[in-house]
Amino acid sequence: MANPEFYALNASQTRRNAAIDALRAPCYALGITMAGFSTIARESGFDFWMALVTSLGVWGMPGQVAFASLYSTGASLFIIFVAVSLANMRMLLMVISAADMMHLKSHNLPLWKRIFWMQFLAITAWANLGLAQQKYPPNLLLPYYQGFALTIFAFGILGTIFGFFLSDLLPPDILRVVIFITPIYILLLIINARQKANRLAVLIGGVLSPVFFPFAGEWAILIAGILGGSLASLYSRFIAKWHLESVQ
Amino acid sequence: MEDYGFFQSWAAVFCAIIGTITWRIAGVVLASRIPADGPVMGWVNTMAYAMVSAVLLLILVHPTGVLATTGLDHRLIGLGGGLLAMFISKRLIFSLLCGISAFALAIQLI
Repeated sequence: MANPEFYALNASQTRRNAAIDALRAPCYALGITMAGFSTIARESGFDFWMALVTSLGVWGMPGQVAFASLYSTGASLFIIFVAVSLANMRMLLMVISAADMMHLKSHNLPLWKRIFWMQFLAITAWANLGLAQQKYPPNLLLPYYQGFALTIFAFGILGTIFGFFLSDLLPPDILRVVIFITPIYILLLIINARQKANRLAVLIGGVLSPVFFPFAGEWAILIAGILGGSLASLYSRFIAKWHLESVQ
Repeated sequence: MEDYGFFQSWAAVFCAIIGTITWRIAGVVLASRIPADGPVMGWVNTMAYAMVSAVLLLILVHPTGVLATTGLDHRLIGLGGGLLAMFISKRLIFSLLCGISAFALAIQLI
């Protein structure tokens, strides 16, 4: 599957390619999405530094939005902790999955460096890694991730900064369309996942979460994720035998 | 009271950060213990995909913030346009443009 021309690249060329991939579209949309977070945060009573430190330290949009909305209602610290943990629980799965895609073990990085690099992981970079996996050899995926995730992160942080002060800059009609870009972009990426089991998981998880939402609220994400993933896994292992397809 | 508010608001920020970073650290630690091509890794991957898809569909069907000012039908037309283009063309950026254009047109026309 991997393209021979990408095998000849070295790490810094791969990082540059990844940064260019990020500059093609996702980084601008993500910057404006983070500006959207900043606007919500300001309305919720955050000062500038709180909004900035939240983006730097949390770096996961759904958790950040949950945090800002709870903050505006004056929820207790415990509730904030639980809600953000719940909203960002997918980080656990995404980090494991990304580490597996990048063969992180084979790079022999010390624990703190692995944690440092995973701090920049969010949905966009993770989903793009799935796409890069189809082109680049496994040993170049860590440099690819570094180039891509850092570019996205830089734009996200710039978006947070500008969004806080310039929230009224874009006319609402354009803002609505731009904020729509990131979720659609990521959905199109993951519906094209290389392995059929993962595509099936996207389908089941996506259908189940809005169905469960009226009864389960934010828990719908967790339920749909575990149920959708498990059903797709079981189907692929025991009914369709998709695990027989080659992994590389 | 001013100081208390200051400390409590920063404590809230740190609660949010700890609530996320804990998962990342746990992920890094667990990743090195799960065999790469085994069934557990396959299961973690499908759950990651399902959960990300669940988050996105929730953003599209029950949004907060700016997207909440658009109609559900507008957002579903945008989603449908993007997916349809993807199935036909298999080209990411082209399909993204189709989805976004469908959404923008739906807002203007419906």
